[in-house]
Amino acid sequence: MQDETILEIKDLNICFEMREGTVNAVNGVNFSVKPGEVLGIVGESGSGKSLSARSIMNLLPRNATVTNGSVKFRKTDGEVIDILAEKRESRKMRELRGGHVGMIFQEPMTALSPVHSIGKQIMTTLSLHTDLSKKAQVERAADLLAMVQMPKPMEMLKKYPHQLSGGMRQRAMIAMALSCNPSLLLADEPTTALDVTTEAQILDLIMSLQDELNMAVIFITHNFGVVAEIADRVSVMYLGNAVETAAVDDIFYNPKHPYTRALLQSIPRLDGQKRHRLQTIEGMVPDPFNLPTGCVFHTRCAEKMAGKCTSQIPELTHFENDQMARCHLHQA
Amino acid sequence: MTTIHIPDDALISVEKLQMHFPIKKGFLGREQGAVKAVDDVSFYIRKGETLGIVGESGSGKSTTARALLRAYEPTGGSIRFKDPDGAWHDLTHKSEAEMRKLRQHMQMIFQDPYASLNPRMTLLQLVSEPLVNIGVTNKSELEDRVADLLSKVGLRPENMSRYPHAFSGGQRQRIGIARALALNPTFIAADESVSALDVSIAAQTINLLQDLQEQMGLTYLFITHDLSMVEHISDRIGVMYAGRLVEVADTASFFEQPLHPYSEALLAAIPIPDPKRARAKKRGLVKGEVADPANLPAGCAFASRCPHASELCHMSNPELTETAGGRFVRCHHSADLKLQGANYDQ
Ligand SMILES: Nc1ncnc2c1ncn2[C@@H]1O[C@H](COP(=O)(O)OP(=O)(O)OP(=O)(O)O)[C@@H](O)[C@H]1O
Ligand SMILES: Nc1ncnc2c1ncn2[C@@H]1O[C@H](COP(=O)(O)OP(=O)(O)OP(=O)(O)O)[C@@H](O)[C@H]1O
Ligand code: SF4
Ligand code: SF4
Ligand SMILES: [Mg+2]
Ligand SMILES: [Mg+2]
Repeated sequence: MQDETILEIKDLNICFEMREGTVNAVNGVNFSVKPGEVLGIVGESGSGKSLSARSIMNLLPRNATVTNGSVKFRKTDGEVIDILAEKRESRKMRELRGGHVGMIFQEPMTALSPVHSIGKQIMTTLSLHTDLSKKAQVERAADLLAMVQMPKPMEMLKKYPHQLSGGMRQRAMIAMALSCNPSLLLADEPTTALDVTTEAQILDLIMSLQDELNMAVIFITHNFGVVAEIADRVSVMYLGNAVETAAVDDIFYNPKHPYTRALLQSIPRLDGQKRHRLQTIEGMVPDPFNLPTGCVFHTRCAEKMAGKCTSQIPELTHFENDQMARCHLHQA
Repeated sequence: MTTIHIPDDALISVEKLQMHFPIKKGFLGREQGAVKAVDDVSFYIRKGETLGIVGESGSGKSTTARALLRAYEPTGGSIRFKDPDGAWHDLTHKSEAEMRKLRQHMQMIFQDPYASLNPRMTLLQLVSEPLVNIGVTNKSELEDRVADLLSKVGLRPENMSRYPHAFSGGQRQRIGIARALALNPTFIAADESVSALDVSIAAQTINLLQDLQEQMGLTYLFITHDLSMVEHISDRIGVMYAGRLVEVADTASFFEQPLHPYSEALLAAIPIPDPKRARAKKRGLVKGEVADPANLPAGCAFASRCPHASELCHMSNPELTETAGGRFVRCHHSADLKLQGANYDQ
């Protein structure tokens, strides 16, 4: 792993053994992040974005098997941790989770305990990773809730998740993920339940922490507006593959992969026009038990070349400015 | 309080809806005030129409939808619904048994798919449950119906025997949509139902909802934070802030020129899917204290954050009033303000 990298995922493969066969949910994903960098991940629903993020926390579903690859994280003291070689509940992993690495989960109700108040939950994280006094913990927890724009933070501390709206739960989790000043933040659709004014404030908060603490961020979202505002680099995923990775401007203005181009065309535009049909990508997502041969996107690709695309898996092509895409169009 | 005129072709009308949750304190659980999650909310939805609801997180959108379907017993106001035979029903005080019959026609797609899907039921059981509840028992008929519904929402019928945990967040959201469609309802309240989907599948789902609307005259209440989506799908838009509707307008006029200062702030904060324009944009964030529905001020709930607030605003709470153009707004000064509309994408 390169010196300036804080996180590196290499050739990650994750599968599930099901009654009907094997689901290859993540198929050789690679990416790396530097301190202070924001990597946006977009792509198909079910393409393995959340699984890739969860592998960094060593929190994959119990029935998942990692068949290949590694996830490495560099702590601020320089020690490199080979995450997938650690036991799920090892001392190192517990120190990492919530401490060095904060995670905002896609579905807050899976990550928040229904039987403890949110104040109690934030304070538990603080007592695991800091040596703040009880009183200081309460103050820090209230400050965090104020930072994520919760009304009346002191009173909010006493609320249980079911008493909060969807967006308030999401903000409680953001507060928890940020509580110990992580050097890497994993944010899995952190603002989908927020109105755009609150979202703008949370994005500002994340960007200011990234600036002050040189925090690295992996930001999974379906919202291209949010990607445009926050990401330095973007990875586009389809069916367990990162099909294209590039600087944010290259993704928007110079996309190389047909799937990236098709996604960009599906974005609903604010255009003052009513009742036209939104553009979609032709065809259905392939059956994960029967992945297409050759390029995984060939069953839906408008630029498919018969023969080559259906039989050969495209190699990663490198372009300038660190842009890379997996597509035969770019291979001599 | 506000009174609005209900048109003849309305399918749903809500008048002065109120949903307060008591706050209990101490170990005796004495009541100490209430969270005014929804307060004085009045609107109607015409048959075949889509009313989009946007607004601050925590402003009472989900609670309004839940009260509408009587998942909650409202603490005040009334809800009326016209059944497919044209008969009006006052839902406000209906018993659970009476509601069960009407729920065939009224369905909800929930915001949190994980919390709303029973993890011990397979996809087949989940999607067929509403059908079983109305007495369909033939196994192969159920399977056919479920297969049809699953392909409609872009899920593979072969996966019918799997449990929800084996699906991604976006896939689970589509299970909720399939369930809501199972009984061919006339009304669907969709709470953030496409925000967890990738843009292509979201577009497919929106096209599907619009097709169903055209074919069967479906009526939607569509709650979302995605203003480009709401612009695309809604005929009219309602904006909520701190438990109240602060503006209702037809979609085009709303985006052209909002009438409420909070609406203006919302439109200004829409993220732009274009990195160069996003960087060039100066972000004027709304500042000031967020409204707390357990402790609302005497005046306008937006006053502490509103650039146009006057003394009057801090003292008295404006009513939702109808403007000359047939729009509704809750603001003392809206007639004198020239607010900024949306920046359209090129
Ligand atoms: N516990 C599990 N058992 C079996 N399959 C699973 C399990 N968890 C995830 N999968 C499968 O792995 C694939 C990838 O899931 P993941 O949650 O990473 O998708 P995602 O890219 O985050 O999608 P979304 O945008 O919808 O959240 C999905 O197709 C899903 O069906
Ligand atoms: N069961 C409950 N008990 C107490 N308070 C509640 C309950 N349900 C909701 N609330 C409160 O009511 C208010 C409105 O919540 P609601 O879920 O309707 O908001 P929302 O507009 O849907 O927000 P979001 O956009 O974040 O989903 C919030 O302040 C919330 O804390
Ligand atoms: S390799 Fe072929 S099928 Fe795949 S994206 Fe490129 S052109 Fe399309
Ligand atoms: S009533 Fe006053 S404070 Fe409230 S939105 Fe209107 S101008 Fe602003
Ligand atoms: Mg996910
Ligand atoms: Mg809600």
